Amino acid sequence: MNPQMLVDSASTVPLPAPWWFVEFFKVLGFTLHLAPMHLWFAGLLVAMMLRAGGGLHARTFSRRFAKQMPVLVAFGVNFGIVPLLFLQLAYYQFFYPATILMAWFWIAIVAILIPAYYGVYLYAFGLRDDDPAGPSAFRRWIGWGSAVMFIVIGFLFVNGLSLTSSVDAWPAVWKDHQVAGAATGTGLAAFYVPMVWPRWLMMFGLALETTAAWIVLDAAWFARRETDDYRRWAGRFAFGLAVVGAAWFAAAGSWYVFGTWPGPVRETMFAWPAMILTAITALSPGLPVVLLAMLTQRGFSRTAATIVAATQFGVLAINAVSRQVVQNLEIGKFTDLAGQTADIQWSPLILFLVIFALGAVVILWMVAQVVKAARST
Amino acid sequence: MHYPWWYVPYSTGPMLIALVAVVHVLVSHYAVGGGLFLAVETAFAYRKQHRDYLAYLRRHARFFILLTVVFGAITGVAIWWTIGLASPLATEVLIRTFVFGWAMEWVFFVIEIASAFIFYYWWGRLPERTHVRIGWIYALAAWISLVLITGITAFMLNPGDWPGNRTFWVGFFNPQFIPQVVARTGGALLLASLYVYLHASLSIKDERLRELVSRRSIRPSLAGAVMITAGGAGWYVFLPPSAIAVLPSAAVLNVFMGLIVAMTAVVFAALYFGPYRNPSWLSPGFAAMMLIFGFGAVSIGEFIREAVRKPYVVYNVVLGNQILPEEMPRLAESGVLAGGTWTRAFVTDRYPELIRDDRLDLDRLAALHHADRVALGEVLFQYQCNDCHAAANGYSAVGPLVRGRSPREIQRLILDFRNTHFYMPPWAGTPEEAGLLADYLRAIAPDNPEGMFLGGNAREDDR
Repeated sequence: MNPQMLVDSASTVPLPAPWWFVEFFKVLGFTLHLAPMHLWFAGLLVAMMLRAGGGLHARTFSRRFAKQMPVLVAFGVNFGIVPLLFLQLAYYQFFYPATILMAWFWIAIVAILIPAYYGVYLYAFGLRDDDPAGPSAFRRWIGWGSAVMFIVIGFLFVNGLSLTSSVDAWPAVWKDHQVAGAATGTGLAAFYVPMVWPRWLMMFGLALETTAAWIVLDAAWFARRETDDYRRWAGRFAFGLAVVGAAWFAAAGSWYVFGTWPGPVRETMFAWPAMILTAITALSPGLPVVLLAMLTQRGFSRTAATIVAATQFGVLAINAVSRQVVQNLEIGKFTDLAGQTADIQWSPLILFLVIFALGAVVILWMVAQVVKAARST
Repeated sequence: MHYPWWYVPYSTGPMLIALVAVVHVLVSHYAVGGGLFLAVETAFAYRKQHRDYLAYLRRHARFFILLTVVFGAITGVAIWWTIGLASPLATEVLIRTFVFGWAMEWVFFVIEIASAFIFYYWWGRLPERTHVRIGWIYALAAWISLVLITGITAFMLNPGDWPGNRTFWVGFFNPQFIPQVVARTGGALLLASLYVYLHASLSIKDERLRELVSRRSIRPSLAGAVMITAGGAGWYVFLPPSAIAVLPSAAVLNVFMGLIVAMTAVVFAALYFGPYRNPSWLSPGFAAMMLIFGFGAVSIGEFIREAVRKPYVVYNVVLGNQILPEEMPRLAESGVLAGGTWTRAFVTDRYPELIRDDRLDLDRLAALHHADRVALGEVLFQYQCNDCHAAANGYSAVGPLVRGRSPREIQRLILDFRNTHFYMPPWAGTPEEAGLLADYLRAIAPDNPEGMFLGGNAREDDR
């Protein structure tokens, strides 16, 4: 079956925003989502391992991190709304069929997220600074359970988004999982789309690096009550974790690029000018590692930690841009994405931007109040 | 048709939307009203320097965050997930029409989360005035979220002039907008009070403090009751004619309309005779009873709100079976099997000889074996009927509905929906396709039950 047959015609409702605007907010939202999402994807697992087998400082970090998790999960979920909204806006012909073909797995994401999120709270509420024994065995199991569930959620997400851009796989998934032409929603992309596995693993490597950046940022800015010894440990551990993350990213990324990219995508991404983006995306995860190496040698400062975190955020942004370019190449052979009929809703668009800016001001004001209160206590 | 249909055995996909939506609504209204409660009452407790009340409010804030930020927020995401899976065409139309409404709502959602966490985690560390301000920021952001989402959901029931003038604001400020904002704001105030009553009755031992909570929350709950009544009346007045006609047409809606009035009356009466007249009555049992009836009334209200949209998902814009009304003439010409993206792919793959010149070849269709006719009929059932009907068993199963009818009778019935069943989408395909569907429905229809004495001979039909 020609997969093009399964791509529906364009919507009767025109695109309400310029194409560049959709792409910008999709990438911005995805970058914002990646930062906290990485911390639950890999960070919680790292924290649980450190709790189980680490020394004093490792357990201190584990405790601190687990207590931060409820807030990180909330913002991770929240920031995930933006890229999904703009994905559905402009890539609807691909997103809906892909997720329907694997509907039960896709909907399982929210079903798993609820117990995972409550598990984080339950685990965090059992942690006390002055309790050397740590949380009870029951709460530890809950913590492990949440860590595993977040990794499963990441896997399911990669399945959904890989299938969205792998139209060639749709006929096989549909034929194998249907009743009278209706999808049973039981087709897991991982069995049909080879890129699912390396993408998932690649993201895990990058998530280890993000966790490393968070460790130093937290130690520099929020761990006033911890000792200098702890901060030194944090720098050293973060460096080691970043090295592992970067190596992991390089291995999984190589598999993804050389083992699963379709020929035309590889040709484009290795030709001028896209090759610059490919090279930067491949090499950029090395930058935080270099910075962390310098940080651990020259001593610990807030400025240095902030630079590491900002650099890692930049790495995530580059990754998001690169991913967007590849997604457009994969989908672009089935439809002219950028050529969608547009009828710009100017007044709602401008109102959104105004509210976006005002919202940022309100949040900054609230954070400023918190900082002021923290200084005075 | 446009998208692959998601087959959910027994319940149907859209029923999952209803299930998730009702569960979400029970928490999301509390997320709005509870925020207002915390802002107002924290200010009051600071003003009166009521330490015990402040301690209670802090406990309540923790309960509030655990319920709304986790369960409320994730079930909100779950609605979005399920509508995309079970009603993709309507979701596509809504998102392309109201993306900036959702984007604005997202900004307020970020503010809600940030302010809720600061309000709770920094309790006792922020100056009192700042603490209250942050409570108010949460309350305002949550209410604006309600307004923005209501503009979109109200559009689905009555888009007003939008079909003729497809602009954002015409769609957003639809005839249902103000009544539903009023009713939902009232629902938020009322439900929040009921949550507060149950939480207070379970967690406060001091009777005087419990009475204080009881007295303090009665005014917003009674104000909520008035707003629900006023908003509900407005909702009815601004219903489109088909929705008004649906109300008395379906037996389940008759029962539910009676139930919602009765349950709401019980809640209003319990509030008046309980917290208003006798604040000391606030026992866990009494509070639980009020909350259960409140849940019942809200859930039924949501079900009715959804059900009266028939035969549309979005009134006059998207039909219940994921077809746009303007597509009907084309589909009547080409047929659904040849005219839908996924149905056409199915036929091309399994019965390639049936499609010629972008249409079904009627001669070859007539020559098909009965089993193949039933198989194609099942495809039509999935893409035309399964939005609202399970097959042989399950929610509103269509098999029992055609019990005892011959294929010819069923075919006539299908073709005449436009005249006889205004609350169902009219038949979108060709008469020949209706025949295929009739063959399938006849195949899954059960026989009449045995052992019934009806006072005469059994009817001989033309089966």
